[in-house]
Amino acid sequence: MPVPGLPILEGLYPSTMDLYPFEAKEFNRIHPFYENLRQNRFTTTKCKKCGNTPFPPRVVCPKCNSDDLEWVDLPTQGKVLRFTEEVAGVPLGFEAPLIHALVDLGEGRKFISRVINCKEGQLKEGDTVKLAVFEVPPMIIEKRGGVMEESPRVFFAFEPVK
Amino acid sequence: MADVAIVGAGQTVFSRSCGVSIRELAFDAFQEALEGLDITTSDIDASIICSAPEYDKQRSPAGLISEYLELTPKPSFYVETVCSSSSTGLRVAWSLVKSGLHKVVAVIGFQKMSELSSRDAAERMGRGADIIWESPFGLTMPAGYAMYARAHMDKYGTTEEHLAKVRVKNSHYGATNPKANYRKELSLEDILKSDMITTPLKKFDCCANADGASCVIVARGDVAKGISEKPIWVMGLGAATDTMTMAGRKQLTGLQCAQEAARQAYKMAGVKPQDIDVAEVHDCFTVSEILAYEDLGFAKPGEGAGLIEDKETYADGKIPVNVDGGLLSKGHPIGATGGSQIRTIVRQLRGQATEAQVKGAEIGLVHNIGGIGQYGNVTILRR
Repeated sequence: MPVPGLPILEGLYPSTMDLYPFEAKEFNRIHPFYENLRQNRFTTTKCKKCGNTPFPPRVVCPKCNSDDLEWVDLPTQGKVLRFTEEVAGVPLGFEAPLIHALVDLGEGRKFISRVINCKEGQLKEGDTVKLAVFEVPPMIIEKRGGVMEESPRVFFAFEPVK
Repeated sequence: MADVAIVGAGQTVFSRSCGVSIRELAFDAFQEALEGLDITTSDIDASIICSAPEYDKQRSPAGLISEYLELTPKPSFYVETVCSSSSTGLRVAWSLVKSGLHKVVAVIGFQKMSELSSRDAAERMGRGADIIWESPFGLTMPAGYAMYARAHMDKYGTTEEHLAKVRVKNSHYGATNPKANYRKELSLEDILKSDMITTPLKKFDCCANADGASCVIVARGDVAKGISEKPIWVMGLGAATDTMTMAGRKQLTGLQCAQEAARQAYKMAGVKPQDIDVAEVHDCFTVSEILAYEDLGFAKPGEGAGLIEDKETYADGKIPVNVDGGLLSKGHPIGATGGSQIRTIVRQLRGQATEAQVKGAEIGLVHNIGGIGQYGNVTILRR
């Protein structure tokens, strides 16, 4: 469909407007995170040398500089520490209410996420939420000869445990 | 001793829609900054252009503005720390002058946000967060600060009424600021009854996007005395960067970047919080001003709400804060905001404030934050 005022965008992929990360292996070295996510696993990297397990995942250990890392599973359930329900002025690509939460995954691990499948006024601090994985629009990769290839993508949020 | 001074400071009116292009905006601020100075454009040795690039159609605006202001062939370049870009610009200008490389440097901040729809602007603002780990959740500035507000309320008993009282004060002073976008005085009830944006922040807890430009002219001490009747001396500069992700923050009850920047600035200036006569703080949201009271040491941690409750941050209080209306009244044209805060303090220290003048103000402070607490900048000035 032509974009009003910008008919030149028809059929093109404006990558700088893409809301989701460039997940394909051609674009980053943490793509296993997304492959694991597809299997409903929430993972990060653990340093085999010093045991440091930061999130987000790394390619080099920020503590000891080793690149001998392994993928390990993180809990997929956590408790809501803080949250806010955004009911107006949500950014392009999102619908109100947009619920943001600081989720405690245990072991001192806190994580910012969106909470989905949750009605306005339903969430309370202390509630348990679990990982929810969903498909998002594919990434378009321009290959040799201008061939456009679709790379499927998933992303995640948390949802209340019923 | 301070041997770098601010000799001129100007800004445009901040408005929802300025009706001019960015080069024209920049020119207006530049013109006001040069007023009363015994120099011409050719005396400016370098220019630093400050804005948040995601809002601009124009790429590399430094060259464009440099040409329009006829600053070529002097060097011009761009600096960015989102909402604190022009405070970072001042830091760089100070270094250029202090190093002996240049004598007079112009710091020009601008933003024209009216070219975007508000949802598009929110989305671009959101990409000032980590685009792999946090932006994809739709996390934006209001939601980030709302979580700081929740944390502060929970830990210290700060209430929505305390937040609203910050806006009551700032709207009171903003009403008399001819450069402010929002010039209506608001009652506590107006604010508490305004539409919810993101719990617990309501419409009047939030500053508005705006168009505007600011300009600060920085000069070497000996040059400053020759070209300006009232140079304002740069006594202290502090800057710190916190994690890009909000998840990486140690706590949500204060901004660590501001605490660290304040520590550096007080140390460099050799002054204490109680020595500050007037301050401009980054009130992008009402809660941000309360966090600033504590991060700057005007109040102990957890006691910021008491300061507004007791009206101690009014012009006749213990520590007047944002007596030009703050970002809440003026509006927040990202790249121009720091320069506008500096302009207010310069005018206060010169005894030239058009809004509430703090009597006999000698030492002033500017607190300017970039992003959701990513970049902290604190500047201490003296007459």
